[in-house]
Amino acid sequence: MKRFLILTKAMTLMHLRNGYVLFWNFAFPVLLMFIYGAIMSQFMDYMTPGVIVLNALSFGLVSSSTMMLEMREKSVLRRLQATPLPAGHLVGSYLLVNIIIGILQSTLIIATGALLYKVPVSAASLLLAYPMILAGLLAFMALGGIISGAVAKSGAASAIGMTVYFSLMFISDMIFPLDMLPGWLQNVVPYLPAYPVTQLVRSALLDASLDANWVSHFVLLVTYGAGAMLIAAKLFRWEPKA
Amino acid sequence: MSQTMIDVRNLTAAYGSLTALNGVNLTVAKGEIFGLLGPNGAGKTTLLANVEGLHKPKQGEVHVGGISVQTDAAAAKRQLGIQLQKTALLDDLTVAELVEVYAALYEVYLTSKEIDALLARFDLVEKRNTLARRLSGGQQQRLALAVAIANDPQIVLLDEPTSALDPHARRAVWDVIRQLHDEGRTIVLTTHSMEEAEALCGRIAIIDRGQIVACDTPSALIANLQLNSMLKATVELPLEQVRTLPEVSNARYTGQHLEVETARPEVTLTALHELAARSGRSIRDVMLRQPNLEDVFLKLTGHALAESN
Ligand SMILES: Nc1ncnc2c1ncn2[C@@H]1O[C@H](COP(=O)(O)OP(=O)(O)O)[C@@H](O)[C@H]1O
Ligand SMILES: [Mg+2]
Repeated sequence: MKRFLILTKAMTLMHLRNGYVLFWNFAFPVLLMFIYGAIMSQFMDYMTPGVIVLNALSFGLVSSSTMMLEMREKSVLRRLQATPLPAGHLVGSYLLVNIIIGILQSTLIIATGALLYKVPVSAASLLLAYPMILAGLLAFMALGGIISGAVAKSGAASAIGMTVYFSLMFISDMIFPLDMLPGWLQNVVPYLPAYPVTQLVRSALLDASLDANWVSHFVLLVTYGAGAMLIAAKLFRWEPKA
Repeated sequence: MSQTMIDVRNLTAAYGSLTALNGVNLTVAKGEIFGLLGPNGAGKTTLLANVEGLHKPKQGEVHVGGISVQTDAAAAKRQLGIQLQKTALLDDLTVAELVEVYAALYEVYLTSKEIDALLARFDLVEKRNTLARRLSGGQQQRLALAVAIANDPQIVLLDEPTSALDPHARRAVWDVIRQLHDEGRTIVLTTHSMEEAEALCGRIAIIDRGQIVACDTPSALIANLQLNSMLKATVELPLEQVRTLPEVSNARYTGQHLEVETARPEVTLTALHELAARSGRSIRDVMLRQPNLEDVFLKLTGHALAESN
């Protein structure tokens, strides 16, 4: 346990001392809220949960694995593998730090929405929204883990992650409502991983209630999350691909 | 017989279809400084990786401190202090934080006093709060060594600990390695420098193309091959007479210089002086080159140690 705490403290320091990490994780989400607020201030109730999920999506698919990929490429992971530290502790510690970052990001976005754009939030809505955000984060990070494991270089991983992120972001009811999409796409999108998270977070945050279809959203999300975690664990590598 | 700390038995290791090690056998006893000497690509790093539990052998077994690396990797890793050839430590941590974290990974928890004592040995105390990535090359190498022994291991494995260093930094690292040895630790290091192997190692395994071609003390390696010394002198004497001198196996001229291969240079030199005196010639600029590990390597493998660097 002490070992896990010391390792987690080290991981936290590494994230906090990294300028890129700080900007992309903490300044960028707030900046995003300012931008959407400037161009569509009357829709910020709809947009704020959308920004939370699109941020969680880019964080899960791309940013959250950046430092792990960097450690893999620079042989830091190999050096860690030479110690008796079990792989599960390393991954667990890394995930813990990144989940906390992801939750902090969402908190910054919610605070910006509530304070600047009068998005109505209450204790009850927050209490319900955070578990939904957490579930989404876990599923997105697991999907990001598949990309990291499958791809040789960190550059390729972020390119693939960004592509998936942009595709899902535009169609998953985050910034454009579903009925703006062509009919066939409207039938497909609900089965993709980001859409259920958007619905769950939005109804939790705005109405302090569960979405009407929450059971099917949850089943889908757990299927994606658990499936992706298994695959990501299988693909986990200590070394970069030659 | 002293205790065996590392025991490598019939080890064959591959990367896909490339065989990097082929039937390697090796034992290292407690308290040795043992050198793996060989050119780039010989298999030194792969051999260490198999001892460290970082690479799964195709065949064979490795024990460290009596524990099997293959069946009990975690316990085996606890015996070892490690410095990898390509060492990258956790980025964005300070020198003191790094030492603390790496010791903790072995469930060894150092007080800040103990951390400072360790850093002092590596001349890094003033750098304790400096981020590791801001250190010079020599300092980083010393930090890698400090991290390697942070868990107080009995066996220390160092992969090319000095290869990227200038001569001054290199000697500083040699001193540290000798200190670790004086404390009774068993040390295995790899190098492609014959000078380093001779300066530090009690025993050496010469490794080439995935096989150990010889393993002994440096002096025994040289003596066993009965390599000749080379006597050089500036003197004009008929070659056929020089060749009949005692112990001489060959003689030739390169320009003004007479080069004489001899098994016993002191005997030959005396005879050469006598011959010169009888012929009324004077000998100048006498030089003796004794056989070294470089010659051993060349003789055993048919190619030079340095050529593939
Ligand atoms: N990760 C790897 N993948 C494929 N081949 C490798 C890998 N590491 C080493 N090799 C090959 O294995 C052989 C031995 O390499 P190595 O053990 O690194 O030698 P040394 O440390 O003596 O320079 C070389 O031919 C090298 O190209
Ligand atoms: Mg090597």
